[in-house]
Amino acid sequence: MKNIYQPYPAKIERIVDETFNIKTYTVKFINGDIAKSFNYKQGQFVEISIPGAGEAPFSITSTPSRPGNLEFTIRKIGRVTTKIFELKEGDLLHIRGPYGNSFPFEEVEGKNLYFIAGGIGLAPLRSVINQAFDHRPRFGEIKILYGAKSPAEFCYREEIPIWKKLPDTEVLLTVDNPDGEWQGNVGVVTTLMDKTKLSPLNSVVYVCGPPVMLKFVMLKLIEMGFKDGDIYVTLERYMQCGVGKCGHCNIGDKFVCVDGPVFSYRDIKVFPERERAV
Amino acid sequence: MKMYNDIRILDKKKIKDLLKSANSEWNIYAPIEGIGGDVYFDILPKDDKIVDEVLNNLSIKNNSNIALSPKDIFFPQMEVLFNIDKDDFTETIESSPKLIFGIKSCDLKAVLFTDEFFKRNYEDVYYLSRMKNRLLISIGCLTPPRPGSCFCTSTGTGPFLEEGYDIQLVDAEDFFYAEIGSEKGQIFADKYSEYFDKRTDGDTAKKDINKIKTKASDAVNLKVDFDRAVELMQDDDFFPNDNYKRIGERCIYCGACLYTCPTCTCFSISDTVSSNKEGIRFRNWDGCVFEGYTREASGHNPRYEKYLRTARRYEHKLKYDFKVTGTSGCVGCGRCLESCPVNIGMSKFIVEITEGKRII
Repeated sequence: MKNIYQPYPAKIERIVDETFNIKTYTVKFINGDIAKSFNYKQGQFVEISIPGAGEAPFSITSTPSRPGNLEFTIRKIGRVTTKIFELKEGDLLHIRGPYGNSFPFEEVEGKNLYFIAGGIGLAPLRSVINQAFDHRPRFGEIKILYGAKSPAEFCYREEIPIWKKLPDTEVLLTVDNPDGEWQGNVGVVTTLMDKTKLSPLNSVVYVCGPPVMLKFVMLKLIEMGFKDGDIYVTLERYMQCGVGKCGHCNIGDKFVCVDGPVFSYRDIKVFPERERAV
Repeated sequence: MKMYNDIRILDKKKIKDLLKSANSEWNIYAPIEGIGGDVYFDILPKDDKIVDEVLNNLSIKNNSNIALSPKDIFFPQMEVLFNIDKDDFTETIESSPKLIFGIKSCDLKAVLFTDEFFKRNYEDVYYLSRMKNRLLISIGCLTPPRPGSCFCTSTGTGPFLEEGYDIQLVDAEDFFYAEIGSEKGQIFADKYSEYFDKRTDGDTAKKDINKIKTKASDAVNLKVDFDRAVELMQDDDFFPNDNYKRIGERCIYCGACLYTCPTCTCFSISDTVSSNKEGIRFRNWDGCVFEGYTREASGHNPRYEKYLRTARRYEHKLKYDFKVTGTSGCVGCGRCLESCPVNIGMSKFIVEITEGKRII
């Protein structure tokens, strides 16, 4: 019987500083067989551990259509991430996964894809964004609405200008707190939803961000006429075991780690309102 | 499924010898009474001299109040998952043959329920290897071990069972009737046939057993409308938030109810590693009533408010377990009420929602 809790060592190949407290790690499993058998989908996550510090869940930000690069964008916030930030290129992480369901992809061919993200919430969406760009002709227009606290707190600052130049693609940015040089939009990410045309017909929306952002984005999308079944959210919970056993991420009869982390807003609305925080 | 009808006689005076005799083949867990009168499942020592001393405190009274169900034999309160040596994680799997002697019907139902949980979705290798070679010999209660708290007749999980046991012992004063319930139980009774006397007159024995069982059921005086409670809770729109809030105001969130609950399975995984990078990764019991249980690294906590955690506990047992498995996670053992410092328990919650009374 396979041990679902067994972590496998992976070497950090590259570290990119995204913001003052966010870095992106590119890693590679030491064992070639593990690397080969690690097949993931857009939206899935892993448990990363540091011996002694423990484990924590992280979404995979790289894209299945670009094999070889396994990337995680990590914010320094707790016990495990503080330890990860002490590591250098060449050091080891321990990984198990991939876990959870995925963002719909093949099922939404032919549709417009809208992405709405706040802060590090762009990390899991980036996986499906790049997957869509790798299959560009299969989709309609692609719009990415991305908000950060300040101009220095956007992730993927080298990649976003490349996205902007792609055909039939729009990237809109906003900040809560502008500095002197910022020429763009100021305000929460929902303000961007009025700056471009978002068509509720033949479109799907992918959303990730802090709970308060999710709440207002949902309200606005519904107000704009989007159907709750066309809105996909990846939920944040304390997914400690990743395999539906430890119980920490349960909502109603679901485990976010096994039944999610991606849920349609229609599915989320079935959860007890007092618990869903969306 | 093959039916087993075999009924044997187990002389009470011979039980210690039976256990000693089987002790070489099995790791035997039996209810042992401590100095303070508390009863726990203890593993019998293999040493012949010491085992006699331990067995002097064997508690096979038909109403032994065993503090914890044997859940911790398969899912220990603290369990090492890996030995860590620098960057190596070596799994630590335990798979000894285990004979659980004297388990109560409610706890046996709970064990079977928990087995299914650890098999579902992803298989939990630690639990499944601990339980794979196991024999369950139950003793039905003639009177409730926790009077006023036990409500197994309402949940349909006791005081005797129709199936699920390998051998079920029915207390007939001088001896036990031993009802064989599985192939494993049959093999065990045959192997130790000198203790399991075959000379029973089937019909008389069955009549006698039924009489004892009926009397035992009648002795469970706390009755609640469990089926109605589950039915109410199955309604997706039924959320008795006022009850949760009142319970939330009284509950001290100590977690006694979930540690003593035979079907609670939540845990946390942690590491402890020394400066030379050697140590362990382990899991220990955790629970939904604790504030830190759902708190994320960012500080965001979807169940920050106390009553949300109260709601989770009752809804998990009565709403969601049933929705997923068709069986409730509550087996009516009454330990939650018995262990609660502020007198809250599942049976009281059920009375509140089914009878509209305020008793908490």
